[in-house]
Order: sequence, then C-alpha cells, then structure tokens
Amino acid sequence: MELELTTKRFEDVDYFTDRSLPDEPHSYFEFLRAQGPLTRLPLRGVVAVTGYNEGNAIFRNEERFSSYNAAYGPNPLPFTPEGEDITDQIESHRDGNMIFRMISTFDPPNHTRLRMLLRGLFSPKRLVENEKFMRRLADGLIDEFIANGTVEIVSQFALPFATLVIADLLGVPEEDHKLFRRIFSASGMRTGSLDGVPKQEDNPMPKIEGHFIGYIEDRRSNPRNDVLTDLANTRYPDGSLPPVKDVAALSAFLFAAGQEATVRVAAAMFHILAEDQALQARLREERSLIPNFAEETLRLESAVKSGFRLAKVRATIGDVEIEAGTPLMMCIAAMNRDPAKFEDPNAFKLDRKNARDHVAFGRGIHSCIGAPLARIELKVTVERMFDRIADIRIDDAKHGPVGNRTYRYAPSYIVRGLTELHLAFTPAS
Amino acid sequence: MKITYIESDGTPHTVDATIGWSIMENAVKNGVPGILAECGGSATCGTCRIYVEADWQGKMSPPHPDETTLLEYVEEERPDARLSCQVSMTESLNGLVVRMPERQYS
Ligand code: HEM
Ligand code: FES
Repeated sequence: MELELTTKRFEDVDYFTDRSLPDEPHSYFEFLRAQGPLTRLPLRGVVAVTGYNEGNAIFRNEERFSSYNAAYGPNPLPFTPEGEDITDQIESHRDGNMIFRMISTFDPPNHTRLRMLLRGLFSPKRLVENEKFMRRLADGLIDEFIANGTVEIVSQFALPFATLVIADLLGVPEEDHKLFRRIFSASGMRTGSLDGVPKQEDNPMPKIEGHFIGYIEDRRSNPRNDVLTDLANTRYPDGSLPPVKDVAALSAFLFAAGQEATVRVAAAMFHILAEDQALQARLREERSLIPNFAEETLRLESAVKSGFRLAKVRATIGDVEIEAGTPLMMCIAAMNRDPAKFEDPNAFKLDRKNARDHVAFGRGIHSCIGAPLARIELKVTVERMFDRIADIRIDDAKHGPVGNRTYRYAPSYIVRGLTELHLAFTPAS
Repeated sequence: MKITYIESDGTPHTVDATIGWSIMENAVKNGVPGILAECGGSATCGTCRIYVEADWQGKMSPPHPDETTLLEYVEEERPDARLSCQVSMTESLNGLVVRMPERQYS
C-alpha cells in the first residue's frame, strides 16, 4: 500500500522544484529506472537517462547531443526548435547569456579551443606541486579547529580547502588567498538551486573574474616565472592569443565547476567514515585503500547527480523517440547504480573492483578536466585527517543519536550533498 | 579503413574507422570495451592506453612530451605504450592492430 502511494506521488512530482527529493533522490531515480533506461518525464518534455550504457553512448556522441543546456537544465529554450537539425539555431543563440557561453556548454570546435587552454594547468608535473600545497593547506585548516574537539567539516574545512586548491592551481599568489577564501561562503554554493537563479550581488563570479583580469593583464605586460604568466600567455591551437576577458572567465569558471562538487564528496566521505567505525578502522590500517574508498564514494554519492544535453537531431534510443530540441537529463547518480553495470549497486563496497568505472566525473569531451586534481584532494584530505585526528565521529549533539539522525542535503536538482556535517573527534597524540 | 583492438584476454574487436578521429574516438564511439578514456582525449587521465608494435609505431606521429610524461605519471612501464587519444587515424594506419591493457587504472 505504502509503495503504491509513493509511486503515485513520483508520477506527479516535478523533479526540478520538489523539495522533498534532495534528501533522498535515489528512490526517485529507481522509479525512473523501472520505466526503462530512458524515459520521458511528464513535465517539461525532458527525457531522463538512467542506464549506464545508454548514458555513456550519449556522453560520447557530441555530434548529436549538444551541451548547450548543460548549465541551463530544463528551462525553456530561448528559441523554438525547427527542422531536422538545430545546430545553427543553437549557435546563433549563445550571445548575451553567460549560461550559454561557458566551457561546459560549448560544442566543438569552440569547446576544443577552450579545453586546450586549460590543459597545461593539469599536467602531471603541476599535480605533484599541487599535492604539496594541499598537504600544507590541510594542516593549516586542521590547526584552526583541532583544539575544539568538534568541527563543521563543510564550512571549516572542505570549502576553504577546495577554494584554495583551485586558487593554487591557477597560480594565485598566496598573499591573496585570504581574499579568495572570504569571497566564498557555504551559503553561496547554489548550483542548480531549487530557489531559482541567485541574486546578482550574491554571485561571487564577477569578483573572481575581476581579480583574474588584473592578474592576466599584469602578467601579459610583466611576465614572471609563474603559473599565471603561463596561463596569461597560453595560445589557442591556431596560435592566436585569447582576449584577457575570456581567460579570466575561464579561470573563474574553474571555481564554479571545481568547488562545490569536491566539497560535497569530501563531506560524503566523512559521513561514511563517521557512521561506519569498522570501515574507518580498516582504512586507517590499510591506507592504500583510500583511493578506492574515494571512488566508491564518488560512485554511490554522485555529487553531480544530474547534467543536461540537448538533442541536435532526431534519435531513437531503445524504444524512446527523441526529437531535435529535446532536453536530456543525464542522471549520473542513477547510471552509477545501474545493476547491469554494478553488482549490488546500492551497497557501499570498499573492495569493489570496478568502482572507478563510475561516471561521477562524466564522460566524453566534457568529462571533468579537474578529476585528477579532485582525486588527489580527496586522498590528501582523508590522509591528513587520519594523521591528525584519532577518531572521527558524528556529533550527536547536532545530528541526533545513532538511529535517529537528521541530515540536510543541498536543495538542488544538480548537486547531491550534505549542507552541513558536524563531527566530534579526539586529536591524535 | 579498419582498426582492430585486442583485449588482454585476446578478444579482438574490428571497427570501420573514421579518418581524422583519434584511435581512442574510433574505439569508444564504436563501443569497443577496454578503453575508458576518462578525460575524453585531453591527455590528462592515462586511461586510453594501447600497446602498439614497432611497425605500426613507425607510421604514427611520435609522442608529444606531454604524452610521455603522463605515461610515466600513471606508471605505465611498457615502452610500446601510447595514449590512443593522441594518435589520429590516417590512411597509412589502415589495418592497424593494437592491444589493450587488462585494466586502464590500478
Ligand atoms: C569530486 C569533485 C568533482 C566532481 C564530482 C566533478 C564532476 C564533473 C562533471 C560530472 C562534469 C561534466 C559535466 C558535463 O559533462 O556536462 C565536470 C566538468 C568539469 N569540471 Fe568537474 N568535478 C569535480 C571537481 C572538479 C575540479 C576540482 C575542477 C577544477 C579545478 C573541475 C573542473 C571542471 C571543468 C572545467 C568542467 C567542464 C569541462 C568541459 O566542459 O570540458 N571539476 N565535472
Ligand atoms: S583519454 Fe585521457 S589520456 Fe587519453
């Protein structure tokens, strides 16, 4: 009886506004999966993709599926799709709105050009340097709260950590790090908010962009031996120098893209570790399992639970007909729990062999360029916390006792993750 | 135009290749298993590794230093390894045979 009621409710629910789904989105995704690997939602004309193989094929077919609406989601397009192929309509409706002009929303060849600009930032040589910075940064942040015995890990650790790692990646001088830390606050993380578009003055991006315009202009006229100089002078594959504003926008976008997801995954890892003391003990003993622990968390928690594509031409996938102009919701969280790909998909398995086959970082030409960096961030975070803190527990005073906990998740149709996670601990001696 | 990809257990997959696409794209767009290509061809993940015999290597453009560095970073030890996303399909590679590692990540 209860099951029937739930099903009925899911049929009527608007995924993009419903406030009860973020706390437990997976049963809704399972309801969608029960209708097939692709299914049309009753509202907004969106087709939801929950199948692992089907989703991978779409992610890898940028010729037919545009990323135009990657950040725009299910909102009505600024044009009425006409004809067999809407590529030209897409390209002639990008001006004006930034939401159609970010790297994650461009299609080739413009996407390819922008992605080439970023490549140099994510080289193995730089990653080794980034990791050293991360260790120092983690220790500094832990110093700030270690004497308290409790910590709210999202705002006191994960957010400043993710923010300053990106600042370091881009070569922001350390004397400016305080400034960058101040610009971002936990309440500012609002990707895919159910409350609609945030107010302009709450948007930290113009401030960040402003700083980067300053850096890039300075490094173009006074080159130094630093990462910002390399960034300022990186050229497009055709040899041309990109406008300062474009480099600044791309740099600022790294904060938007790289911060919130990393914060949510870090919180998920500590949530799992604090609720499962046996797992925590095992991981402390066998540190080499930390990377797969992170992969399994990425798979099961899918911090970016959904993303979007727009069909450029007609397609038939399975028995679903997709017209040109149809928005597809790529349900990453559901693809990562597809029983055809992952055995016993809802269970957390530290030893899962194919954990890293998850698509938590997407796939294809838009797949997360920050993934190698994020993986190191997650590893360093757990390692340094284990080194400095003897036992990590849930703070009962804040979340309630075992068996009766309360957790709140970001009210978003894109991001999945805790808004706050209060931990209690004993410092390591 | 053909490329044959051989899995570590010996299973071959032959595809009709598209000139101008990379060896990686020709695999993933034709559903060949064994090439993960997490980064979509940005040469940042090292999960599109293939092993290529010397004769065929000679017909490919030599690796860019970025490719070599990444192969070292992901601890790929075989000297015949390439990142399939960094090699474009050309006329002279018609009939190419490549082998894939058992796993693209450790
Ligand atoms: C655990 C943390 C992270 C997760 C789960 C994550 C997830 C994702 C996903 C799913 C996409 C694909 C979006 C699409 O296909 O539409 C993406 C793209 C992207 N991510 Fe991440 N990300 C993370 C961390 C980072 C970091 C640390 C950075 C940068 C420093 C970053 C930068 C980017 C950029 C620039 C893109 C757009 C790439 C493109 O469109 O070519 N991400 N991320
Ligand atoms: S696809 Fe990532 S290195 Fe080739």
